[in-house]
Amino acid sequence: MVIQIVVTIGVVLFILPNILSSYKQKNLTAFGALLWLFFWLVGLVVIWFPELIGLIGELMGVERSIDALVYLSIVYLLYVSLRQKIRINEISKEITMLSRKIALPQKDNSYRISKIREGKNF
Amino acid sequence: MRNYIVLPAYCEEKVIKKVIESIKKEGYNNIIVVDDGSSDNTYKEAKLTGVIVLKHPINRGKGAATQTGIDAAKLLNADIIVTMDSDGQHNPKDIKKLIQPILDGKADVVIGSRMLNTKGMPKSRIVMNKIANIVTYIFFGILVSDSQSGFRAYNKKAYTSVYTYMDRYEFESEMLGQIKNAKLKIKEVPIKVIYTDYSKNKYKHMSRFSAQGLTNGVKMVIRLIENSLFK
Repeated sequence: MVIQIVVTIGVVLFILPNILSSYKQKNLTAFGALLWLFFWLVGLVVIWFPELIGLIGELMGVERSIDALVYLSIVYLLYVSLRQKIRINEISKEITMLSRKIALPQKDNSYRISKIREGKNF
Repeated sequence: MRNYIVLPAYCEEKVIKKVIESIKKEGYNNIIVVDDGSSDNTYKEAKLTGVIVLKHPINRGKGAATQTGIDAAKLLNADIIVTMDSDGQHNPKDIKKLIQPILDGKADVVIGSRMLNTKGMPKSRIVMNKIANIVTYIFFGILVSDSQSGFRAYNKKAYTSVYTYMDRYEFESEMLGQIKNAKLKIKEVPIKVIYTDYSKNKYKHMSRFSAQGLTNGVKMVIRLIENSLFK
């Protein structure tokens, strides 16, 4: 019972305000904020009513219901990792293109050619 | 005939001037240096020689710098683009050997291969190059004797057909894959690597820490796998 109270206080006092302030500061979209709120509220419900996990286990055909949560967590973490990897790849390519744009003069081609000949960046 | 020599350079202030002068000495005055965000005076030193010097604001890797140089030469309507290392390991006298097959119409791309004459080359480097060749073959289906050589010549058909997106050393392999896909004629010519004190120190560093060389090789493979997954 003590751990349930501690976690609930932690979520209510720290995590939920953090989600709301992130949304207000536009670090999170409305959808993102709702998703995190949903995630933590579901977490609180599961903490107070652990027998609910059994339902998930039954649905997934897993003997021990906690295994179902572990499997789902692994799938979710892999998905997040993949998303981040793709995004980092994209950002890396964008940084390279930006560096190239800075290195090579812009405007029209004749301007760029004359500037390249002068050896200037712009 | 407008031949442009592209030199991607990162922290080469000690040798860049000498390298440029040695290329000029061979009669090639159209030189584009791409300073890849060096933290030293590479940019200033290169500028003193009067050649075209471009600068990446931050370090993006040899592949990115080489492609920037190729883009610049493309804008200047180059007939042939030669890419070289800027640490003085490549002999400017070999440029002629690289260009000749293109002039003769025998090739679209010519690779200066260190592996056709391995005399004086550290064994660890030879092994690493062979592994890199196999990796390149696995990922891109093209087998050459020196897949990691940065000493290459491209004619207009070739440099307009390829565009590398990989920023670091693995771009050489990516480029080979594109050369194969574009069905370009490829030829390899033997080149000699100049072992100056400067480059020897680089090699010493590599052989002394062969584990580091291996780590770099593994990183390259990982990046090739990632690229094949995420591109």
